Amino acid sequence: MAIGVLLKQVPDTTAKIGVSGGRVDESAVSKWSMSPYDEYALESALKLKESSGGDVVAITCGPARAGKMLTDAAAVGADTLMHVQIDGQDSIDSTQIQSVLVAALEKAGCEVVFCGKQAADTNGGSTGPGVAMLMGASCVSHVSEVSADAGGYTALRASSGGAERVHVSAPCVFAFDKGLEELRRPNVRGIMMAKKKVIETVSPEDLGVSMGESRVTVISHSPPPEKPPGQKFEGADSVATVVSKLRDEANVI
Amino acid sequence: MAYEALDFYDIDALLTEEEKMVRDMVRDWVDKEVIPNIEQACHEGVFPDKWRVDLGEMGILGAPLKGYGCPGLSYIAYGLICQELERGDSGVRSFASVQGSLAMYPIWDFGSEEQKNHYLPRMASGELIGCFGLTEPDYGSNPGDMITRAEDKGDYYLLNGAKMWITNGTIADLAVVWAKLDGVIRGFIVEKDDSGFSAPEMTGKHSLKASVTSELVFQDCMIPKDRILPGVKGLKGPFSCLNNARFGISWGAVGAAQSCFNSTKEYALSRIQFGHPIASFQLVQNKLSWMLREITKAQLLAFHLGKKKDDGTWIPEHISLAKMNNVDIALEIARMSRDIHGANGILDEYPIMRHMANLESVKTYEGTHDIHNLILGKHITGIQSFTREP
Repeated sequence: MAIGVLLKQVPDTTAKIGVSGGRVDESAVSKWSMSPYDEYALESALKLKESSGGDVVAITCGPARAGKMLTDAAAVGADTLMHVQIDGQDSIDSTQIQSVLVAALEKAGCEVVFCGKQAADTNGGSTGPGVAMLMGASCVSHVSEVSADAGGYTALRASSGGAERVHVSAPCVFAFDKGLEELRRPNVRGIMMAKKKVIETVSPEDLGVSMGESRVTVISHSPPPEKPPGQKFEGADSVATVVSKLRDEANVI
Repeated sequence: MAYEALDFYDIDALLTEEEKMVRDMVRDWVDKEVIPNIEQACHEGVFPDKWRVDLGEMGILGAPLKGYGCPGLSYIAYGLICQELERGDSGVRSFASVQGSLAMYPIWDFGSEEQKNHYLPRMASGELIGCFGLTEPDYGSNPGDMITRAEDKGDYYLLNGAKMWITNGTIADLAVVWAKLDGVIRGFIVEKDDSGFSAPEMTGKHSLKASVTSELVFQDCMIPKDRILPGVKGLKGPFSCLNNARFGISWGAVGAAQSCFNSTKEYALSRIQFGHPIASFQLVQNKLSWMLREITKAQLLAFHLGKKKDDGTWIPEHISLAKMNNVDIALEIARMSRDIHGANGILDEYPIMRHMANLESVKTYEGTHDIHNLILGKHITGIQSFTREP
């Protein structure tokens, strides 16, 4: 069984993001990382492999720099790496990306797909449901755990006021939330093995996908508004003001 | 904020993918495990056992050694590991240096096949902790006159003497101890439960507080015959180990300096005096520029030395220069950082004072700053100046 894991490389959540000319300046991003929810998807896929067997196929769709993230995935245990190389993601809409990912999943023979519930850069949240729709698969979102059982898979997902267990059969897509499990760290042995792993790099055309035209145009990016500066109060006279601000404005007392 | 390492001359571009991955793995670990917990560890004077477990799981102990369950990484990778660990704290790097270069290395290079198979895999995994006994209360820079003696008693060796300033001593499962047997320095593996062996912890340190420092005491300590290291006689044994540890220190010091530099840059940009960030004043810029210059030079020294270690063209004097220089500038950068941090520099909210106090030890251990100058002096002139005897 092949377990597909869809990964996206995003600016590290702690990296500074600059906007220049109405666009996020990618060249100024100091660190690129695997999107955090994808890390939980990968972790759970590796756990599923350990408990029920199978191969973990890590798939990404992105520019050349994203290859490094696949090697990182191999260092913690991903078996097969596939990189659909495309540039200028800005001019590609999510349906186009999903059609490419579905073609890659088909090529790798994956009927069970793990991904993050949303990417840390766009927060779109469309990959899981979109891929499931194109595959004709069930989709369970906000999942924190998946186990295999007779006839399919049981997923644990957050529900209003508690948790829900859902059973589905393949083909199925699980979109992951942050789980309770600690993510595994790579180790030197994993890194040595990862170095030997070949990344299968393909283009959308290699997968037989005709991208077509994007139906979405990103008009511009803008940075979040600057936070107002902090306020300073000195002396005992200001106590009443501080208390009223904490109570009425900050709502902390 | 993600840690952005100072890399002014883009040394990153000279590293292999594997070296960068190992470096990033250790960097992440230090950010997540060491930096949030180091002040408490120093306050309590302990080396958290979780760090031993994690270092073993990451598989970085004995980094450049090959076979017997050891990682088999390049010396550059070993240097990068030391750099990142010491960016956290010199005590963490000391733990790894002692385990890998001072305890595993002599067994790997000079041990019997049985000794290697018996100890190395479990030392690489962190299951067994090792320490290294060379320095004595009265013999530091001059280890050749050591007092510790081993006697051949037929069925066993009898060890008598004492070692001091031994990193990991009290928590170690085994010690590689150097002692004179018939007047010749030999290496012995002493296990923690051997009769006549004790390792009391030394207390009262103002430096390397998260590292365990101990005495090793041997009173008629009985060592089985198969625990002598067969492969080496004389000072060459301990000195080979020290070469590797000093190499690691030359990288580690860069890490400590980078930690101080980063904190200082951030502080200088945010601290407002006379209506402007202090980073905008010429005296502060001059200091920051000096730090950048010295860190960059130290990085280049460490990197080139790493290449020489990897291709086998190094001589011990190369290591002396890098250890001496890099620790020296790291200490000076720590002091300068404290200056720029003003009174805040003495607080444990910033890493400065801790690095500074640590680096005072690092300047002295593994060959003092001055001894490394004398090694270079001898190299230049051909005249040794260590001793008054001809």
